[in-house]
Amino acid sequence: MSWIHKGELTFIERLSANILKAGPMPKHVAFIMDGNRRYARKLHVERQQGHTQGFDKLAETLRWCLNLEIREVTVYAFSIENFKRAKDEVDGLMELARQKFSRLLDEQEDLEKHGVCIRVLGDLTLLPLDIQKLIAQAVLATKNHNKCFLNVCFAYTSRHEITNAVKEAAWGVEQGLIKPSDVSEFLLDECLYTSNSPDPDLLIRTSGEVRLSDFLLWQTTYSCLVFQSILWPEYSFWNLCEAILQYQLNHHALQKARDLHAEARVLQQLEADRCCAAELLQQTGLGKPLDPQLRQEAVQKYTAEREGRVHSFLTALQEKRDRFFTDLNKGSIASAKA
Amino acid sequence: MAVVYEFVWRMLHALLHLQRTLLSWFRIRIWNWTWRLWRRAVAAVLVPAVFGFQNHPHNNKKLVPTGCKKSCCRVLWKSDGKSLEKLPLHIGLLIAEEEPRYTDIANLVVWCMAVGISYVSVYDNQGIFRRNNSRLMDEILKQQQELLGLDSLKYSVEFLNNSNDKPEQQGLSCQATVKVLSPDDGKPGIVTAAQKFCQLVEQQQKRSTDLDVNMLDSLLRGTKGMPDPDLVMKFGTVDSTLGFLPWHIRLTEIISLPSHINITYEHFFSALKCYAGCEQRLGK
Repeated sequence: MSWIHKGELTFIERLSANILKAGPMPKHVAFIMDGNRRYARKLHVERQQGHTQGFDKLAETLRWCLNLEIREVTVYAFSIENFKRAKDEVDGLMELARQKFSRLLDEQEDLEKHGVCIRVLGDLTLLPLDIQKLIAQAVLATKNHNKCFLNVCFAYTSRHEITNAVKEAAWGVEQGLIKPSDVSEFLLDECLYTSNSPDPDLLIRTSGEVRLSDFLLWQTTYSCLVFQSILWPEYSFWNLCEAILQYQLNHHALQKARDLHAEARVLQQLEADRCCAAELLQQTGLGKPLDPQLRQEAVQKYTAEREGRVHSFLTALQEKRDRFFTDLNKGSIASAKA
Repeated sequence: MAVVYEFVWRMLHALLHLQRTLLSWFRIRIWNWTWRLWRRAVAAVLVPAVFGFQNHPHNNKKLVPTGCKKSCCRVLWKSDGKSLEKLPLHIGLLIAEEEPRYTDIANLVVWCMAVGISYVSVYDNQGIFRRNNSRLMDEILKQQQELLGLDSLKYSVEFLNNSNDKPEQQGLSCQATVKVLSPDDGKPGIVTAAQKFCQLVEQQQKRSTDLDVNMLDSLLRGTKGMPDPDLVMKFGTVDSTLGFLPWHIRLTEIISLPSHINITYEHFFSALKCYAGCEQRLGK
């Protein structure tokens, strides 16, 4: 497979992997693959060469992740901000994407054998139509695979993603599926492009920069952040091990913080449901019943109704998303036949 | 075999913890020694420059009153701020440690003001500062007096609470706005803004397709108008933002320091120097 290198770890690498696996391992790792252009400058080659090497390094890293039993990887391939770059560089990156996605479609058998599910996250409407169609084909072809997951953020920024999630919730209100008070952290989680993935356990950024650059801002609030100074095309298995060790050192504290946040979230939702149930009773003229039993029942009824509304909305949202890819795919089948 | 791997793993982690503790210990000791030497050298030049040449046969340091020492510090800190290539407009102090020390945090806030940083946020992921807001404010005012002496009157600290009041403009030489934040300002804040927009849609004042990044940004920011943090100084060994303003930190530099307990000005300033050296390409 061109996207995942063939090959096994060396003896030393296997030994180190087994030692690492004795401790808690991240299930989902996110990469900001930074440093391709600086690498090209360092080697006195063209920028495009730097990006190509960067892709090869991605394929190698995915192999290491599989060896380490890390089943989900998200990568920041192209930011909406990157459209500001020189035209020839942007065109070069689009051409690289075209080649790689086309190649992916030729390797469907391999992808099925290894159970690789490809997802592309971002505002795909900003991309050239032919690339959108290639992406749609790749996503639909691998939709039901479930052994490992690769999420490619392309034409993506986190703020656009969060804004889009709020827009989807507002669409739900427009359609009469949900009420504004149904909007919660859980609902917005499900409206993000990453709704089918758990939050990343570990985020790695290479090239020495110490910022998130509008990548997975919502999803990485309790992730372990590791900033490594190595340039992405020079990334090694040992750099990955170092990052995983950092994750393991932070694991306990982060788990504690995550649990605290989850508890607070549950309490906030319960409180919101109580307020809404009380308001509803007020509106229906029954006022606040003095019997705590009746009050409790009113809250439970409200919670069940809210969850029902949210469930219908999320089903409709998933259908809307699937239609986007199937429509694109129909378009490409039609133009192939013509 | 699994038992062997587990044993090796435990040894490895024990060694790493030991290394971290030793490094931290050494860093503080060597650092403080180096910086004491440097600061004495700089102070020896600046003290006579500030107060005029004193023709005393005895040690000048003993005869300089405390008030003058504070002025000397203020001058040094101000010139430190000016010497940097860039200074953050808004700094976030993220305390990722279990037991916060209010005096040390107050010192950090006062140093931020003294070097010329206009907005300071203080955050912890358990909401401790939010619950003890007035204690922190009192400590900051106390340390302001302690560290800046008579000149503390030239510095105005505006404490932003959750009201929608804009900070008042006062004709003073230095003004800083301090805000205490908790996890409720993070994702729950985004949820509140989302609900507000959905209410407008329900009332048919807006359509869902009207929303863009700038509109959501204004809904989140409200009228308080604090800019995004340019720099987050994270104190503690946890490598995470722990829920600190996820929307606002898209371009924020995140610099880690081992602890806020007994933090020295030199440590704080070294982090600012690190920030000044960062280059942002903004996608280009």
